[in-house]
Amino acid sequence: MIPKRSARRRRVLLGLVLAACLPGLARGQSPASRLEGMWSDPPTTPEGLFCFFACTDAGIARLNALLDDPANDARPFQQLQAEAKRYEREYLRDQLTPAARKRYPFDPADDPGFLRCEPWGMVRQIFAPHQLEIRQPAPDRLTLRYGEWDGLRTVHLDGRAPTPPKPTAMGHSVGRWEGATLVVETSGIAPNIIMLPDLQAMGEHSAEMRVVERYTRSADGHALHLTATLSDPRTFRAPQVLRKIWRWAPEQQIAPYDACEVPTEFKKGARP
Amino acid sequence: MTSPRAVVAALLALVASGSAASAHHAFSPVYDEARVITVAGVVTEFRFVNPHALMLMDVTDDSGKLEKWTVEFAGRLNLSEFGWTAESLKAGERVTVTGNPTHTNSPRMFFRKIVRSDGTELLPGNAQRLDTIEEQRRLRRQGQPR
Repeated sequence: MIPKRSARRRRVLLGLVLAACLPGLARGQSPASRLEGMWSDPPTTPEGLFCFFACTDAGIARLNALLDDPANDARPFQQLQAEAKRYEREYLRDQLTPAARKRYPFDPADDPGFLRCEPWGMVRQIFAPHQLEIRQPAPDRLTLRYGEWDGLRTVHLDGRAPTPPKPTAMGHSVGRWEGATLVVETSGIAPNIIMLPDLQAMGEHSAEMRVVERYTRSADGHALHLTATLSDPRTFRAPQVLRKIWRWAPEQQIAPYDACEVPTEFKKGARP
Repeated sequence: MTSPRAVVAALLALVASGSAASAHHAFSPVYDEARVITVAGVVTEFRFVNPHALMLMDVTDDSGKLEKWTVEFAGRLNLSEFGWTAESLKAGERVTVTGNPTHTNSPRMFFRKIVRSDGTELLPGNAQRLDTIEEQRRLRRQGQPR
């Protein structure tokens, strides 16, 4: 039997270790400190893999239904995931305006990121896989830096007007805290590509796109959840909610993104 | 000697092993995801870079003709998740590579598996993740009646 004092000491030690490993969990810290640090590929769970890029509630529900059906026990997860993704693509197609539907899915051979090594715009960047580093360099702003394209966004926390004079690739982002949730509103985003829900099925959005992102750290500190509401009357019949998950990954680093090759051989119309 | 363009039919598990999880663009415009080939040769260079790591290798066919091959991988930003480093593949190593060929059958492929001369294998990270998920499903089936 472990003496009470020893057990208490162990609990205190465990708490200290947890606080060191999961910064931002200690009481009294700012909401930003709960999110600051390095995040990367999602937890290895069915939902995590399904939401590696973006996902929808409809797609997650479909995946869970397939996983819960004993008739699918012998089918590999990858097959079930592919079936749920097909369902999700059809769901998203139904959410598009007639004009947007005509160009969905976008031919990946026409992707400017592929053809010209053109960095992603904000709407694709926020669902990029791999590293996401959140920092607060000053009280009035946060930075979100992505491993993909080494993309960098600034989120202004000083309440400045959300609409810039000219649309840019990353748009203009204004943030606020709702409890421990970071809410970011972005507008002024130049027309670009959107993953609906991934690189296998992309569409295009207009300059009327508005995005509201909500970032919340899980209770155990190990995951970061994004719920993004996308509003663009030229693209969607109604605002759409896409989700994504990252894993707390302090061991990860963002490496230079300096070796993109413009393709010399490719085939148009080759669907995955 | 292994034929440099030995087409391996219907390795569907490899074909489907998740290119979407590793890219800054879809691979379908360049690589034929419905086919896999296997090539054996000697590594001349491994570039651990973004957005895609590259391995250059010399492949000699049965007639003695040397061909320079390029093997494309997910990027450093992805491979680093699974412990890969710039030293994961070294010049001079003899390897057998399985991957998706290009639509034009040029000497280039997208990595699916590498077997080293000592028999050890390098696989895409997504394959490890899928193994973990299958184990979770197996445990769930054992522990939770539905």
